[in-house]
Amino acid sequence: MTPAYPKLKPSHVYGVAKVEMSLFNQRQDVKYYQVELFDLGFNSVPFSTTYRIMKVDYKERKDFEVYIRRSDLGNPLYLCTISKVVKPRSSSPLISSRICSKVMEKAK
Amino acid sequence: MKYLAIPLIALASPALAGSVDIVGNVEAKCVIQTDKSGVYGNPTASTLSTSPSDGGVLPVVRFDVAIADYYTANITHPSSFSSSPALTDSVAWTGSTSVSKTSDAGMSGYDSAKIVYDNTTVFDLTVAGSTWFSTSSTATYAASKPFTGGTYTAVVQAECIAK
Repeated sequence: MTPAYPKLKPSHVYGVAKVEMSLFNQRQDVKYYQVELFDLGFNSVPFSTTYRIMKVDYKERKDFEVYIRRSDLGNPLYLCTISKVVKPRSSSPLISSRICSKVMEKAK
Repeated sequence: MKYLAIPLIALASPALAGSVDIVGNVEAKCVIQTDKSGVYGNPTASTLSTSPSDGGVLPVVRFDVAIADYYTANITHPSSFSSSPALTDSVAWTGSTSVSKTSDAGMSGYDSAKIVYDNTTVFDLTVAGSTWFSTSSTATYAASKPFTGGTYTAVVQAECIAK
């Protein structure tokens, strides 16, 4: 998921900022990703986006926007995409991946 | 004949030669890929283990970072089954994560510099390139009871967190 430090942009809603993200699926075993927003302690923070769970085929890129309340931006936030894994038929450990970008008032 | 020569001269003119720019942008990014899916071996009735000596396969995840020092890799080995047959007693879990392969000699210090807390191992990705991490996981059923027959699944969580 890019960028690592997304730039906050004004949105069409007062008091709400938006960030533009891009997700590229490099995992052949995963097709669905969930978008999450956390504070630095990994507690959930409210946000809005078109699809919280989106289908991204292998080697496909998907662009999406996330809307965040400006009042939540006092401290940096983690914007993450989490892979949704499918239950296998054999005894095995699954690999769940989470990639987090850091959203700050002043991008790095 | 002179009329035929005019379009030929025009075609040879450098003003008609097209050029297409290719623009690239290297930015900080982290990519996680599953290099090898793990398998639990069942060396004794009360043990499930990913260790190759127990008949298991270690899961391996690959982290690619484009620019150095932007991310940490946090890998958590399982502490419960995400799906299993009904179990009436507790399960004891152990596990660890280590570097199994690197694309750059500068990553050789990752294992010695790793931080372990609870079930999570944190690696500071201070060098650009690819790193492969393997995670071991062992589940032992309480009081050496045999595991109930069925399929057991647990989740290794691989996270790439911007610093």
